[in-house]
Amino acid sequence: MVSSDVRRVELGGLGTLWRSQAAALGTPAAVGTALIILLTASPLVNLLASAFAGGSKVFAILANSSTLSLIARTVLLATLATLWAMILGLPPAWILTRTDLPGRRILQVIGVLPLAIPPYIGAFTYITLLGPVGWVNTTYRAMGAGGPIVNIYGLWGGALVLGLFTYPYILLIVGSALKGSDPALEEAARAAGLGPVGIFLRVTFPLLRPSLLAGALLVFLYALSDFGAVSLLRVNTFTTEIFHQLNTRFDQRNAAILSAILILLTAVVLIAQRKSLGRRSFVQRRSGTRPPTIYPLGRWKVPALCCSYLVLSGSVFLPIALLLYQTGSPLNLLHTLIAGHRYLWNSLWTATVAATVASGLGLFVAYLTQRRKGLAGLLLTSATQLGYAIPGTVLGLSLILLYNAYLPWIYGTAAMVILGYLLRFLPQAVQGSTAALVQVNPNLEEAARSLGRSPWQALREVTVPLIRPGIAAGWMLVFISSMKELAATLLLRPAGFDTLPVRIWIASIEVDYAVAAATSLILIAITALPLFLISRLDATVSQLD
Amino acid sequence: MAHFRRLVRRHLSTRLLSSWAFLLTVSLLLHVHAAASASELVIYSGRKESAIKPVVDLFERQTGIKVALKTGKTSGLANEMLQERGRPRADIFIATEAGVCEILAKEGLLEPYASPGARAMPAAHKSTRGLWTGISGRARVIIYNKNLVRESDIPNSIFGLTEAKWKGKVAIAGTRERTTLAWLSALLEVMGEAKAKAYIDKLLENGLKVLPDNSDVWRGVGSGEFAVGLTNSPNYHLALEAKLPVGVVYPDQGPAGMGVLVNPNAVAIVKGAKNLDQARRFVDFLLSKPSQELLVHHAFEIPLLPGIDPGLVRPLAGFRALQISQERLADLEDKTIALFPGL
Repeated sequence: MVSSDVRRVELGGLGTLWRSQAAALGTPAAVGTALIILLTASPLVNLLASAFAGGSKVFAILANSSTLSLIARTVLLATLATLWAMILGLPPAWILTRTDLPGRRILQVIGVLPLAIPPYIGAFTYITLLGPVGWVNTTYRAMGAGGPIVNIYGLWGGALVLGLFTYPYILLIVGSALKGSDPALEEAARAAGLGPVGIFLRVTFPLLRPSLLAGALLVFLYALSDFGAVSLLRVNTFTTEIFHQLNTRFDQRNAAILSAILILLTAVVLIAQRKSLGRRSFVQRRSGTRPPTIYPLGRWKVPALCCSYLVLSGSVFLPIALLLYQTGSPLNLLHTLIAGHRYLWNSLWTATVAATVASGLGLFVAYLTQRRKGLAGLLLTSATQLGYAIPGTVLGLSLILLYNAYLPWIYGTAAMVILGYLLRFLPQAVQGSTAALVQVNPNLEEAARSLGRSPWQALREVTVPLIRPGIAAGWMLVFISSMKELAATLLLRPAGFDTLPVRIWIASIEVDYAVAAATSLILIAITALPLFLISRLDATVSQLD
Repeated sequence: MAHFRRLVRRHLSTRLLSSWAFLLTVSLLLHVHAAASASELVIYSGRKESAIKPVVDLFERQTGIKVALKTGKTSGLANEMLQERGRPRADIFIATEAGVCEILAKEGLLEPYASPGARAMPAAHKSTRGLWTGISGRARVIIYNKNLVRESDIPNSIFGLTEAKWKGKVAIAGTRERTTLAWLSALLEVMGEAKAKAYIDKLLENGLKVLPDNSDVWRGVGSGEFAVGLTNSPNYHLALEAKLPVGVVYPDQGPAGMGVLVNPNAVAIVKGAKNLDQARRFVDFLLSKPSQELLVHHAFEIPLLPGIDPGLVRPLAGFRALQISQERLADLEDKTIALFPGL
């Protein structure tokens, strides 16, 4: 009843909308909405203000041919990385859920581990292996050959590494969509005479489109905003150019203009994704407890196993082996752990607080946008999606200016670091809750209310318990991303407050590779823990789209 | 097993996680006030932590003044200070390149202080207005890989690097490294615009490899990726320390040669610093003999003050330096960037 009211006032302006919301959830909802929009949109407004402070200069930069080629290169890199991640993520998603591959349970767990490895560490691994004087080229030369055979630096290397360390987004989301899908459709197709390949192409794959798109979107947006890996691999993208404008030229306005273009690009991608999904509903959760059909691999067993382990070697075993090698001895690892327990603690608690707050806000945003569609919902979703778009460095600088001027008692505390995580990764929490909420019929809440519960009670007693797995999955994604965050943390950390990624960065500047490697191992181990839990909760991860 | 898994799923994923989250959220409240308190001297340092931390520790021990140290990249910290200008947070800024101090000085972000410890320092290595003081220096040198460059081929001038035998074998960090920018500006000043442009164009035609930063240069030369690198003197010692086969040349030392550019590291007091007295004491301390020796030896820097043992490093008196003021270099900066888009 309430929702139909809201639909009618959709064009009726904000005032009516607020009133209809006030009737349902009261002023807290309105205040919350305003606060979240203020929190997330203020860095953007600040950015745009400084971009347009120069007037016509904005358009001069936009029309500049080097800016256009920068856009082309960045989009190309992100596209290549996404395609590569699909190649790496899609087949294993099917093989691990739908075939009798030996050891597929453990493979499912290891398969998501690359998410725990920050891409800058991955990039470093591949430079050591495939760089101009990396192990491969050195061996090749030692065998008497001439020049180097591979060169990791450049666009292709960037795409290779980004794809290798982001494909689990696709594996996770598509994998659990496959697990949760209704076998009845495939059985019908088989009855109609289709073989396994035909079934996959004509039934399974079309149903996977939304989850594949959701995974691909995460990879694409990550590739757009990554700085660490691309700068190590010497690819010039938007983020490296922004860095250049800031750090060589101290030109904050140019950096702001470039960031604004990047944000626009991201917005276009997000809109395109939404359009391509259209209004069709793809929800087709498994109705009973019937497991999906498992196909015997037969003679394909060995090739499938080889491929799976090859992908895992490239994305998990190799980097970890190299880190272990560089650490030297376990004693070294222990020593780093003891000397650096403070940084571990800093990382842990800031990431935890950020993930918790993000989950709370995410639930709030998801609930408002799902249950009460309208202008406020649209504003809220767009505002929270911003985190995908703003590069960490630019976000950091924006936050410094804003909070140092208006909330100086927060600035200079660890709360700034948490705020940075929160703004960058809030979209993940929002999506976690949204995806789970889509599955819950609003009638359940209305039933609770007709039994005399307040809206708040109905939410707490009926809806939240049902979507808890979605919230938990969102929590863990935010936690993992926060643990790895470097660019914004570097700027926002108070003096004397370092996190694990900051220590890795400092150690690598000092060319202290043993400590950098040991710290990286600690970071990966800690981040891997929630990933194990995610793969347990995976039934809900498919809903993250 | 299945039962166990169910148990883990139910308890670990919700109850344990939520209590863990709660516990840590509470600790936020305990930590918020743990940030730098007003009485702490806040230092933003672009110098490597291993170089500056021992000096800071000694300062804390000797004076009893508490220090909050934030190490980062010089440019990143300078950007932070630009953003913080309305309400400065740092008391002291330590830069790996004095040009950054000039930029901040132009923006009016620095507080003048002429430390008595800097009286004996050559004028080129401190601000004429007392806005920053050099603490140590780096020379712009040529390094080469001993396995790839024969004794007779070792270049003794930067102008030799345009010869065909060096095609594709020379590396330099791009202007993202401020020391490269300063070097280019110095060329501009000494040679004039046209000649400097012609020289750099010839280098680029000869396959000069432009890398993101100086550590790429010395590691690339050390590992044999490149035969020759244009970089800063401490990098030669770092490469030696890493047991890489490198040699060093202080180029253009002849009577007609232009000499070698020396880039000072610098310390400055931030305008509006909350702890002005302590900040001044820190600057004095940095210029004192014990901390100078710590600074110089840890990072293979060149001492700028007389009477400091240079250790393994060639002292200022040991080579002919190119004479140019940092103010002049700073004025040339925009022109330099516009003139050399390829770097």
